[in-house]
Amino acid sequence: MILDIYKDALEYSAKDWKTLVILGVICLFSFLLLPVFLLTGYNYRVINTAVHGIINGRDPLPDFEDLIDMFVDGVKVVIVQIAYLLVPAIVFILFAVVSRQLPGIASSALMIVGCLITFALIVVACLMNQIGLCHMAYNEGSFSKAFAIGEIKEVIDEIGWFNCIATYLGLIIITLVISSVVTAIIYAIFTVFGISTAILGANPSGIFILGILINSMVTMFIVGPYLSIFNARSIGLLYTMQI
Amino acid sequence: MASITDHVVEGLKYPFNDIKKLLGCGILFALISALSVFMSTKSLDIFRYCVHLAENTNTTLSHIPLSQLPAGDIYIWVGLAILSLIISLFIFGYQYRVVRFSIDRKEDLPGFDDIVSMLVNGIKYFIVIVAYNIIPALILAGGIILVGNSSVLLIISLISALLFIIAFFLQIMALNNMVAHDSLKKAFDIREITDNISNLGWGKYIGIIIFTIIVYMIIMVAVNFILSLITGIFIAAISNQAFFVSIFIAVIEGLFIDSYGAIFYNRVFGSVYRESIK
Repeated sequence: MILDIYKDALEYSAKDWKTLVILGVICLFSFLLLPVFLLTGYNYRVINTAVHGIINGRDPLPDFEDLIDMFVDGVKVVIVQIAYLLVPAIVFILFAVVSRQLPGIASSALMIVGCLITFALIVVACLMNQIGLCHMAYNEGSFSKAFAIGEIKEVIDEIGWFNCIATYLGLIIITLVISSVVTAIIYAIFTVFGISTAILGANPSGIFILGILINSMVTMFIVGPYLSIFNARSIGLLYTMQI
Repeated sequence: MASITDHVVEGLKYPFNDIKKLLGCGILFALISALSVFMSTKSLDIFRYCVHLAENTNTTLSHIPLSQLPAGDIYIWVGLAILSLIISLFIFGYQYRVVRFSIDRKEDLPGFDDIVSMLVNGIKYFIVIVAYNIIPALILAGGIILVGNSSVLLIISLISALLFIIAFFLQIMALNNMVAHDSLKKAFDIREITDNISNLGWGKYIGIIIFTIIVYMIIMVAVNFILSLITGIFIAAISNQAFFVSIFIAVIEGLFIDSYGAIFYNRVFGSVYRESIK
């Protein structure tokens, strides 16, 4: 079941390279702040398509019309994410403040316990956050549904906690592998170029700089958007896995 | 409406329905921003003069006699302040109409006919804002004057900040209630206002308002960032004209951005009222 999700998501995100390039352009301008929310808004649309679609179906990629709608959805997504991540952050700060008052070994012991609890909370918060976003998308964007902890927990129980966490680990591994393999390939090519230029007697530093540039371009315009759509689609499909 | 945030989307789109009227409202905002640039340079002049005076006569700033202040500059400053207050009354009047149109579900933007009623409505709007904010403001001012510098002042300012927040949330529904019934009395009918809010649900009400403010802030921060970049580029490119560049940028911002923002949030708050009386 998990492999089906990955297969569908990998194919789905590769459907249209134009979308990837448009997302890349938005990402390029994200230092202007507003486009950041367009990116998250697009991810929300992908989730929305996924939770209302079926696995291995012929869902199209969402389009870029109605930018204002997309922007507001993006703001919602960011607020939900911040709200969920605030919980572990506050717990961590509480532990830090309390442990500073304690003497010697007790302080470090409490801090280690605090770090472990924070880590566990971060995992749970990420999971709840993503499923919460799916739940919000499923309920037609109703904000309160993103924080309906009870309903979200039921959804996760139905999917199975093990399945959810396994899917997440898989997502992280796939993301890391794809991005590092692409970088490695590009650097390998340019290393070959650079060495051959050096053998021919020219200065190879220009080639290396070009290599770094092309790598960041490919990451920004192709790989980054691909992976973000892939992640969103996978999460959305995971949500539909409830029995 | 599936979600209440759809109102925010609708409000963001609404000013584009009639660009001409948006610009008409923008002209008022542009005047205000240009005036505020003038006012801040004027007050800087006055301040600079006072500092020179204090240095020359070896007194502190608070001990300069009133008669020695630069009268001409102060008259100009007061005149500019009164002018900008009048313009803001017109802006309030326009916002009143925007709320009215929003409650009536009209898709077009309000026009600028009947200047007098606009001014009267603006004064009403202004009175409500003043009335709701006067208690926390008085507490804050009284605290600063009476208590001075101590930890009590911190508590007082916290209390007044809390009151400001409460007043802000009530004030929005009060303005809506006033516009809907077209009577100033309704703005202070606390029972009806709280009834309306609990009709919608306090959580939902506060949530939608905070959400609207977050969206508004994001837009403003982003746009101001871009505009300050442009200002920097202009000032670097054109030497010795920083004053005109800043006026130009202030006018641009008032013309397009401030007016858009004001129409946006008044539209959303109007729809919140419409939702609450369902």
